[in-house]
Amino acid sequence: MSDFQHIVVYGGGTMGQGIAELLSKKGFEVTVIEKTRALANQARHHIELSLNKQLSKWGITQAEKKIILSRIDFTNEDTVLERADLVIETVTEDLQEKKKVFDRCDRFCPMDAILSSNTSTLSLTELAAVTRRPQRVIGLHFLHPITRLDLVEVVRGLKTEEETVRRIRQFLEKLHLTAIEVHESPGFVTTRLIVILINEALYTLMEGVATPEDIDTAMIRGYQFPYGPLEMADRFGLDSVLASMERLFREYGDPKFRPAPLLKKMVWAGQLGVKTGEGFFRYDEDGDRLREDVR
Amino acid sequence: MNVLVINCGSSSIKYQLYRMETEEVLSKGLVERIGSDRSIVHHTVNGREPWVETAEILDHRQGLYQVLALLTDPEKGVLEDAGDVDAVGHRVVHGGENFSSAVVIDQEVLRGIRQNVDLAPLHNPPNLSGIDAARHNLPHATHVAVFDTAFHQTMPDYAYMYPLPRVLYQKHRIRRYGFHGTSHQYVAERAAEFLGRPPEELKIISCHIGNGASCTAIEKGRSVDTTMGMTPLEGLMMGTRCGDIDPAIVPYVMGKEELTLAEVNSMMNKHSGLLGVSGISSDMREISEAAFNGDKYARLSLEMYTYRLRKAIGSYAAVMDGVDVLIFTAGVGENASLVREWTCRNLSYLGLELDQEKNADLPKGPQRISTDRSRVNVLVIPTDEELMIARETRRLVQQEEQG
Repeated sequence: MSDFQHIVVYGGGTMGQGIAELLSKKGFEVTVIEKTRALANQARHHIELSLNKQLSKWGITQAEKKIILSRIDFTNEDTVLERADLVIETVTEDLQEKKKVFDRCDRFCPMDAILSSNTSTLSLTELAAVTRRPQRVIGLHFLHPITRLDLVEVVRGLKTEEETVRRIRQFLEKLHLTAIEVHESPGFVTTRLIVILINEALYTLMEGVATPEDIDTAMIRGYQFPYGPLEMADRFGLDSVLASMERLFREYGDPKFRPAPLLKKMVWAGQLGVKTGEGFFRYDEDGDRLREDVR
Repeated sequence: MNVLVINCGSSSIKYQLYRMETEEVLSKGLVERIGSDRSIVHHTVNGREPWVETAEILDHRQGLYQVLALLTDPEKGVLEDAGDVDAVGHRVVHGGENFSSAVVIDQEVLRGIRQNVDLAPLHNPPNLSGIDAARHNLPHATHVAVFDTAFHQTMPDYAYMYPLPRVLYQKHRIRRYGFHGTSHQYVAERAAEFLGRPPEELKIISCHIGNGASCTAIEKGRSVDTTMGMTPLEGLMMGTRCGDIDPAIVPYVMGKEELTLAEVNSMMNKHSGLLGVSGISSDMREISEAAFNGDKYARLSLEMYTYRLRKAIGSYAAVMDGVDVLIFTAGVGENASLVREWTCRNLSYLGLELDQEKNADLPKGPQRISTDRSRVNVLVIPTDEELMIARETRRLVQQEEQG
């Protein structure tokens, strides 16, 4: 099926859950590692909720739900790394945190295992530097929501080997995912382009050019975006958007990446988007837009 | 002559070994969860305890190797040597327009099966893996492909074309193909044999109703129309498949319920039919029981199921200008007397008369369940696709030896 038999997803947050669910759906056995038993259970709970939602939309059957859950193990023990042949790291977007995880994986995993990171802005080369196997460190940037978007940015660090890229591409092909290859650079292609659009939408709103609804409608109807830039920002989480922009601003030193003041203000106010129920628009617990808001 | 019949799914191999002189099944079994380190092999030999083992089996080649090891094992096996397998019959789901009968597999045939991967993306690739595995492990044997679609290649163009822009047929081969062909052909031949009449004289309607369900009009031994179309979703209402619906429902529901293509596909294939209407089960035994106990929706689903089947039978009587034989087969057809009874209501205009007693209490094997007066012979004939594949394989091997 694939040369990867034991895949570990390190980090059971939103992205880790999505990746584990996707891999299991495609028939892979996956282990999710979280910091504590409680967080591991929570990850399992969220995957189950996501599957329940698909069940209610007829996307899967009761039996399929059981099988998908049965293929995922949840643990807080690093020892499972000893059997891993591929690790996909999805912990919080913080260089120090990620370095710690890479160091741990490098110590526990077999030497021929591939270590990958789902980072969207951090340097793979820097992460690779803490390991003894920089040639087998690679970026796998999945987009959210993983179950609906089939794009993955495959990111090469400075020392990533051709063989590593080949195995990963083959693996993604089995998953029916579209891979684009990018060389390490802050924000790669997706984040670098989309934050500029979101930021410009924020300035447009601040300048009173148009209402949030109309700004989003312009991009949805005019350019066939599935969501407008403001709802997109709500869905990413305004804090994540801010963090990405600040990082890109630092890395490139280019004022075009300077976050709009309104974005900062909303983050300070705790209006982070879907996850707090309110950003530019309002949302219910399932993350669906509230009716009165929908055009 | 020993013939091994295999049927491969994406992570499974079903196998059955025949001694063709007696058509006896020497052994059969199943390899599951191929591609994992905990694959399971179930292996049975007549008169012995079934054998189950767990092993790491990463692909179909390894899976079949394991099967052959069991078949030739001094204790668990039935053969001395893998060389004793003379031929292998492969079930292949989609033969497209390339194949109208079973064929001996060569490079040309493999190319043909590959050309039809687009039409059966879930089935043809594992079938190809199975062929590769068998040719690798049994290079001396003759390998034969038996197609689910082949029997229906005799349908006339006005039956197999869809009233869509013709360019879709030319560009993408969008047309009706039909499935369950091996089963329809088998029961039609058995029916002629049972009645002691040549197939050329008979107008037969066969209802293969199991998990999937299809109905075929067979005239002079040839399929002239069948209810399944380009995919097995068309036609009759099934356990979890909807069968014929207004195609405009698809975009409408997608809009109203905000469904993706994958979700609407899954809805029609896995959440509809008996299960969708009854909300209880896709299993006819459970549905019948619930209907008997007064469940309104179980009863509704059963009425819809038999009503739709009866409509298909009526339309095929119209297509052939009459019907001599009506066959019920497969899981539901062979076992659900209630379904047969309800389906045969209102077919008196064809001169069909069901013998209620015979229908209700059925011994094993082919049976006639119509009265002596009935102008239509209603038969229940157990299907046996594996045996049909084995016979087709033997026929081609003998042909090769003579030619």
